[in-house]
Amino acid sequence: MSEDPRIVVFCCNWSIYPGLQLSAIDENPDDLPGVSHIVSMCSGRVSPELVIEAFVNGAWGVMLAGCPTDECEHDGNYKTRKRFIMLRKVLEEFGIEPGRISMDWFSTGEVAKLKQSVREFVDRITEMGPARVVKEQELG
Amino acid sequence: MSSKPKVAFYWNASCGGCEEAVVDLAEDILQVVEAVDIVFWPVALDFKKKDVEAMDDGEIAVSFINGAIRTDEQREMVELLRRKSGLVVAFGSCAHIGGIPGLANFYNRELIFDRAYRTVPSTPNPDGVLPRTSSDIDDDELTLPEFWDTVKTLDQVIDVDYYLPGCAPPPDLIMDAVTAILEANLPEKGTVLAPRKNLCDTCPRSESKPDKISIESLKRPYEIEADPEKCFLEEGIICLGMSTRSGCGERCINANMPCRGCFGPAEEVFDQGAKGLSAIASILGLEKEEELTDEDIERLIDRIPDLAGLFYMYSLPSSLLRRKKL
Ligand code: SF4
Repeated sequence: MSEDPRIVVFCCNWSIYPGLQLSAIDENPDDLPGVSHIVSMCSGRVSPELVIEAFVNGAWGVMLAGCPTDECEHDGNYKTRKRFIMLRKVLEEFGIEPGRISMDWFSTGEVAKLKQSVREFVDRITEMGPARVVKEQELG
Repeated sequence: MSSKPKVAFYWNASCGGCEEAVVDLAEDILQVVEAVDIVFWPVALDFKKKDVEAMDDGEIAVSFINGAIRTDEQREMVELLRRKSGLVVAFGSCAHIGGIPGLANFYNRELIFDRAYRTVPSTPNPDGVLPRTSSDIDDDELTLPEFWDTVKTLDQVIDVDYYLPGCAPPPDLIMDAVTAILEANLPEKGTVLAPRKNLCDTCPRSESKPDKISIESLKRPYEIEADPEKCFLEEGIICLGMSTRSGCGERCINANMPCRGCFGPAEEVFDQGAKGLSAIASILGLEKEEELTDEDIERLIDRIPDLAGLFYMYSLPSSLLRRKKL
């Protein structure tokens, strides 16, 4: 029996999340099994600590859905882009593959694009299986 | 019988620098010796484990325990000291957050033994002998404690009352802690006995630090002669003062070396390495960040090898991930 992947998608409160809510009248944003959407006040607020926390709590992959580069009110997406690229490199040294961390940029209206990206990400992560994170009881 | 409070010092996976820090108290140590009875201190005094075992539970007022925990013997000793002590203070970076020995959590026992006893050029070992917990030599059994795959902080093994951070803890904080214990004037259990600020708040270079710093190229400390007046970040040298607790007396900064985080996470930082990474990445190429492609950012980052080892230099065992899964 294959397990559903566990995926966290951080969505910006000022663009894609409202879009997702509007479009979700007949479709739950969490309709893909194992995918949780978390609203964030700015993609700049999605710190490397939060991403690591997601992995520690069992996420197989983490996706960031922020505003397109020139649409962010706070320049948070520029900072987060650099942090995520560095985080990928650091986590690779822990054995967590860079492909498990994805970031993409969406305007409010681009719900279809987001859903497509999430679907592709889920497929990729399902193929990869769970992330290599040690659980407390496994520490020898 | 002396009625002075009994004090013990013990060491685990550590370098000896914490013992040195106690000796570095100089004349102040005389005050300490005057006020307490040191009942156990393997590096300096000849008391044995059996002497500790013979004591009543809770008889030792305070045990200062340094070093990370990575063998069965270390666990046995700290469990014994925990039982016999009213207070346990995790003394120094290794006991507090894992320290340099904690970097071994990027490997495991097998990889470490292989490197240390087989492939390292300075150790001739033609028979490939590795440490074993039990060996028979001439009908006698010789034993060694089990070496763990994972290095742990003291509070991951026993209950800890207070933390004295630093590699090694500076004399003023040690004396403050000893005085607070003797006067029974201690803060809430679990407190780190050091200032709450982060290092940048107390750093002498922060005054001249510009409001906005943009790192155009990362440098390693040996690549340039750092200006002793400037914030290291201005020169592109990674300094972890933003994510690290203050209290060290800026010893590295004053020796013109950047902070590597030995005092552990600043208040409200969960993962010191991730926080440091975040702070450095944010100011990387800040001036023209809109124009940078992902490849440009990678190129900027790739100037520094082993970023995980740098950001988690002292805190890997206490980080959210705790180790690499092998
Ligand atoms: S980054 Fe380092 S040099 Fe700069 S102010 Fe902070 S501690 Fe001082």
